[in-house]
Amino acid sequence: MASRRSFISKGLGVAVLGGTLPSFLRTAAFAQPLPALGSSVDPDNVLLVIQMGGGNDGLNTIVPYSDDAYHRVRPAIGIPEQSVIKIDDRIGLNPVMTGLDDLYKDGNVAIVQAVGYPNPNRSHFEATQIWETASPENPVSSGWLGRYLDRTVSPRDAADPSHIFTAVALGDTVPTALIAQHVDVPAIGALNAFAYNAGRDASSKTTAGVLYDGAKPGQSPYLSLLETTARNALHGGDELRAKIADYKPAIAYPKDAFSQQLQLAAQIVASRVGTRIIFVSIGSFDTHAGQRAQQDRLLGYLSQGLRAFYTDLAAHGLAQNVLAMTFSEFGRRVQQNASNGTDHGTAMPLFIVGGKVKGGVYGEHPSLTDLDQNGDLKYALDFRAAYATVLARWLGHDPSGIIAGTYDTVAFI
Amino acid sequence: MPNVTVNVTVPERYESPRMKLDTSTDPQVGFRPPGELDLATALARYDGPFTRRDAAHLLRRAGFGGTAAEVDTWASFGANGAVDALLHPPQPDVAFDAYPDSTALFDPKTRNMTAQMWWLDRMLRTQHPLVEKMTLFWHGHFATSYRKVPANLMVGQIDLFRSQALGHFGQLLLAVSKDPAMLVWLDNRYNNKAHPNENYAREVMELFALGLGNYTEDDVKNAARAFTGWTLDKNQSFVFRANQHDDDPKTFLGRTGNFDGSDIVSIIISQPIHQRFICRKLLEFFVYSDPEPELVDALATTYALSGGDIAKTVGTILRSNVFYSARAYRALPKSPIEFVIGTLRFMNVRKVPKDTIAWLQRMGQEPLAPPSVKGWDGGPTWINTGTLLARFNYVNRVVKASPPATPAGAMVSAAPTVDLATYAAFTPDDVVREAGGMDSDRVLAAIVRDAIQDDLTSDVRQTMRDYLDSKNATLPTPLGPENYQDKIRGALALVLNLPSNQLN
Repeated sequence: MASRRSFISKGLGVAVLGGTLPSFLRTAAFAQPLPALGSSVDPDNVLLVIQMGGGNDGLNTIVPYSDDAYHRVRPAIGIPEQSVIKIDDRIGLNPVMTGLDDLYKDGNVAIVQAVGYPNPNRSHFEATQIWETASPENPVSSGWLGRYLDRTVSPRDAADPSHIFTAVALGDTVPTALIAQHVDVPAIGALNAFAYNAGRDASSKTTAGVLYDGAKPGQSPYLSLLETTARNALHGGDELRAKIADYKPAIAYPKDAFSQQLQLAAQIVASRVGTRIIFVSIGSFDTHAGQRAQQDRLLGYLSQGLRAFYTDLAAHGLAQNVLAMTFSEFGRRVQQNASNGTDHGTAMPLFIVGGKVKGGVYGEHPSLTDLDQNGDLKYALDFRAAYATVLARWLGHDPSGIIAGTYDTVAFI
Repeated sequence: MPNVTVNVTVPERYESPRMKLDTSTDPQVGFRPPGELDLATALARYDGPFTRRDAAHLLRRAGFGGTAAEVDTWASFGANGAVDALLHPPQPDVAFDAYPDSTALFDPKTRNMTAQMWWLDRMLRTQHPLVEKMTLFWHGHFATSYRKVPANLMVGQIDLFRSQALGHFGQLLLAVSKDPAMLVWLDNRYNNKAHPNENYAREVMELFALGLGNYTEDDVKNAARAFTGWTLDKNQSFVFRANQHDDDPKTFLGRTGNFDGSDIVSIIISQPIHQRFICRKLLEFFVYSDPEPELVDALATTYALSGGDIAKTVGTILRSNVFYSARAYRALPKSPIEFVIGTLRFMNVRKVPKDTIAWLQRMGQEPLAPPSVKGWDGGPTWINTGTLLARFNYVNRVVKASPPATPAGAMVSAAPTVDLATYAAFTPDDVVREAGGMDSDRVLAAIVRDAIQDDLTSDVRQTMRDYLDSKNATLPTPLGPENYQDKIRGALALVLNLPSNQLN
């Protein structure tokens, strides 16, 4: 852990944001002018998107412990003041989130409050589509990151093996967020599984490679796509495995599946295969019953996993190059339900983590008494503003054309 | 539904706002095969020779493929006889459980997979392959997902698609409008006079029957009013609640009257643009990507003359010159379900391996879980590094029955973990018998004839021969009595993983 603090060297202005000032001072203004695109953005920047699947309860993540209304609506599942990890005199972190607290104290965590969008959807499926396509108004097939890929990787480059790891989905399937028109995103559940698996028959793989080089029966326009893709599939995993052979984690990651995937993410970043985007999921946060045990366990994985990840990256000199951003399809209802859980709700906080993040709390904690017409939290920041900020200030790309509408960026980077 | 008296005022002349098929979001655009369409003969009846290659083509497109012996049988029917048998199966289908196990179907832990496996089993074993293939087509068309809809309602919807798979589109669309799964999926159960919900009213036009740009926002609002009161009772069955229905006149696609949902369906399917919309989709499913507008128009005429008869329209496609043309042959990528069920049927596997759902997820097509209301985009979107590796490794697993099925970590297994003989009828001995010995040329000839109808180049054939002869192989010796089991399975897996076998 000794290296953990070593990567944090921030300007004074940033330290103020993350320090001990009262929250009204630390609540940064949302609006910020765009930087000149591409000018100040490091081309090696990597975005790690963390999906908290199932709908994470924001009120037990960032706890408004001094608000009587909070304890009133959550008599059984509310977190008492004495256990909260205090951020200021009003809000604090869920007590399991010691790892994230360490990162926060070092000024590397931005907490963006009350994120949502108009007419929130409470279906897991539909709300997830909305967050991943960034198109609440009308359904589209492409993901918001997929549209970024389509605009930054030319069709010709997309077919080149050197570009196949531009974006990587950790898991068995490619999430909607990464669905692009012409850029192929590999889904990697485990490094060894991203391979042609012929069991004992090693010659089968060699032969398969030969078979896809120039086989042209018939005249289908799909054949060249098949050949290129198969070549990348057959060779890509081998290349990645070869390139990361030297990587050694600087610390032992926790054993849970999410933390292990973060280690794979660190391996991919450290192997420098041109990766700009990594997508990883943790869930399920769908805590309709017995919320405390389940959510606390998952928040613990998230928090301790992120601490290990940034410690490891720092030891490899890469903590400044990776920005992590969480999202969840919705927050949950204000009141606990009859089974000590919470039902589907609306706005929730996002975490933005990284060596170049301007730490602090962005926006006011949502009111528990001034609610929308359904009795749910009102959102203060449209999630597309957070996306636009990441696109413009971290990936160095103009958000217009990727995100419909115009949004002010947020000052967290 | 009680009968409702409708006074329809038809204007003398009505022009739809655009009357143009919007293909801007179709990823298959650009994947039309090269060459010229012969429009004059395209939909005329094909009367050339019906080879086993043609029969295999028909079975892949109009079904899920089959064993080499089944291909031979279908080839003996002739083109028309085979299509007749597909459209009007002479025998009742094999016996299936009418419904999945009820306990499993209502257990939150098992319900979705129970429904999925129930359907995959039908695809695998049915002797009415076109009916099941059209059921899959309608599932993609009216894309509904267990992620929002309870599994028992999903099963009911698939049964509905099957029962009307080759019926009349208008009747199907009306039945879908009352289908409990659809009422949940697109929220019409919440559509009432006081608070209209436009979700279904919009999608019935945009996604199911007309396409974007061929209706106005006012049409959506008025259609939604017509569908008010079409909801579910407490047993999750369709019910019309007159007290929630908006009885005032509506103006919809240029007509005015006190319409209800049935009238909306009738008006929608009478639009000329609807005929082209549905025919283009059928051509992309059965013939090739991005079909020429003239071909779409020609089929739309057939469809219109038939009164929206799906069997007649699909029959026209399957008997046509364009269907048997070189341009259509192997011109479409197999969907993951086509690939998986086709592999299992070819291998004569009688039971769907349990981990198949997980593999289908990795290939990008989990049944009963389309990614959005638009269904699967298909075409080039089926093909990416992850989905191709999943296809390769699924074949390797099923044919060799040796690598374990676990997705994470486990790459190489020293010993078979699945006994192929317990669920597959295919054996290397069959291949040796067909080849008449262990000569590598003849073994290879049998494999490529049966598995891919000889669709390979001489280069590929040579590479495969080298594999069997261990010219570049780590298996120690050429094909022979002591290694033919592994060699033949290995060769078959490679052949099934060839590019041509990714294409239908």
